[in-house]
Amino acid sequence: MDTHVKNYKILIVEDELPLLKVLTDKFTAEGFTVIQAKDGSEGLAVALKEHPDLILLDIIMPVMDGMTMLKKLREDNWGQNAPVVMLTNLSDSKNVSDAIASGIGDFLVKSDWTLEDLLTKVKSRLGLSKKIGQYK
Amino acid sequence: MKPQVPNDFYKTLFERVLDGLAYCQMIFDKQGNPVDFVYLRVNKNFAKLTGLKDVVGKKVTEVIPGISTSNPELFEIYGRVSRTGKSEEFETYVEPLSIWLFISVYSPKKGFFVALFHNITERKRIEKNLEDAKKAAQNVLEDLQVEKEKLAESIAKDEALLASIGNGVIATDQDDKVVVINKAAEDLLGFTNEEIVGKSFVQAISLRDAEGNIIPDAQQPIRLALISGKTTTTTTTLVRKDGAKVPVAIIVTPFKLNDKIIGAIAVFRDITKEKEIDKAKTEFVSLASHQLRTPLSTINWYLEMLLAEDKTKLSDEQKEYAKEAAAASKRMAELVNALLNVSRIEMGTFTVEPEPINIAEAVKAVILEFEHKISEKKLVVSQVYDPSLSKIMTDPKLLTIICQNLLENAVHYTPEGGKIKVSLKRKGSDILITVVDSGIGIPKIQQPMMFGKLFRADNARKKDNEGTGLGLYITKAILDHSGGKIWFESEENKGTTFYVTLPLEEMRKKEGTKPLSDT
Repeated sequence: MDTHVKNYKILIVEDELPLLKVLTDKFTAEGFTVIQAKDGSEGLAVALKEHPDLILLDIIMPVMDGMTMLKKLREDNWGQNAPVVMLTNLSDSKNVSDAIASGIGDFLVKSDWTLEDLLTKVKSRLGLSKKIGQYK
Repeated sequence: MKPQVPNDFYKTLFERVLDGLAYCQMIFDKQGNPVDFVYLRVNKNFAKLTGLKDVVGKKVTEVIPGISTSNPELFEIYGRVSRTGKSEEFETYVEPLSIWLFISVYSPKKGFFVALFHNITERKRIEKNLEDAKKAAQNVLEDLQVEKEKLAESIAKDEALLASIGNGVIATDQDDKVVVINKAAEDLLGFTNEEIVGKSFVQAISLRDAEGNIIPDAQQPIRLALISGKTTTTTTTLVRKDGAKVPVAIIVTPFKLNDKIIGAIAVFRDITKEKEIDKAKTEFVSLASHQLRTPLSTINWYLEMLLAEDKTKLSDEQKEYAKEAAAASKRMAELVNALLNVSRIEMGTFTVEPEPINIAEAVKAVILEFEHKISEKKLVVSQVYDPSLSKIMTDPKLLTIICQNLLENAVHYTPEGGKIKVSLKRKGSDILITVVDSGIGIPKIQQPMMFGKLFRADNARKKDNEGTGLGLYITKAILDHSGGKIWFESEENKGTTFYVTLPLEEMRKKEGTKPLSDT
């Protein structure tokens, strides 16, 4: 367990409950504090309240989808810089270009990534592998 | 006092009168029908006119044999005149003499008549010629009229044809000025005939590319067709007069007269419906693959957690079972990716977006992806790159898919300790990628089928169940669409060499809606 991660808060926004659970388990096991949301609307509220260090965001969700939540998030002062990793099972050019336009950079197809690789990705996004301080 | 007329006045008159003169006595039969007459006196010109000599005292039937048959009217008229005393005049063609005569007849006393002949053969000839000419002219006029009507009908038919063609048709001359526009084109464009005819096509009709930018003049389909002399097919967006945008397919064909290009014809088809259907199909496939991948992700991740050593203590057997499940699930995920690509290829909706790529770096990156497998199988991989090759214009995603496919096959089908050689060199105007392996090879009989969908050679299937049978199909399809080629040489149990060429200049840009997904 990487002690560096103890202070980091990860928000996972995912409507598929089994996936939400296993992701939570993985990141919790690694030492992260994990907060959850089941759809974009809940996710937005939680994000703006809790100011997580990184958001894992699904796209296809009921009530409010991931792209809409992202757009709204970016309208917030804090939210415009919040690190976001899009997790999806769509491989769709429009979404990718929208994501790039929103400054995300990471757009991962869930079925192509192992949890371990995902973890590595998140840690590198947070600058943890370089032991740099809190990611801004 | 009446002037004295000399005695020989009448004689001279008789002799000198230009017409032929004959003084005759009528002969009637028992029933009183006029059947003959006797020449009593004739003048000099009579002979001249008729060609008859020494007729005095003779019957006409003797002098002109066949006259009663050929000219019965003579007898009828002479008979009537000599009987009634009423003068008559008439024209007749005397066949035995081959002359037309104008005859005036009067009767000085009953039973007798005097006939004055005027040769009108010449006049008749002229009249006939005139008549013939008139008839000929009339015929010509009639023929002309018929032709005019035929032409009018033909034109009407063509117009009806043009009007009823469902697709918009616009024809221009060699300078791109519109000469014809049919109703369907008017409807499609929102312009009327009057507003477009005579104007430059390129200026009057606004075409835009996928990003909404106006297509530059030189790339307008009409210009391309007029300059190159070749048929150009393209899909583009048309902007109507009212500003609405319509997706259209345009085929422009130059037309030639005596080998010289004198214009072009553009046929437009509104493809809104087709695009909608394509969009629906694409969305369906995307949604379907999304739905398939969600449970796959669940399976993969839970198995991953299950197999994580520190958290769960599994017996060796349980671990084996979990590993098998994980492997199968991974295969399924690859299959879904491959099927998604195949459907995009088949629907022609995948994009080719070239950008400058350092191809050697790209190939090296792919080899790196297989590092784990390579070291596990103790494969020896050598790489040879032509140093002069740096950047080429190609779509990085597609290049990755191609390289992944070639490397995947080489690594997968080469047994432990085998050799793989990857080289990159220039071949004419192309780049040649070669991947040589010392693997299981491809049986000769099955070589022709290697690029078929879902095909796996027997020896491959014997080895394991892992391949999708779609890799080479997808790779070839990508190359077909972007101007590249793929072929191979192989011998069973010896090894296989795959060759791929990519155009150095530029991968042909292809408009589509979705990129293919890499693994």
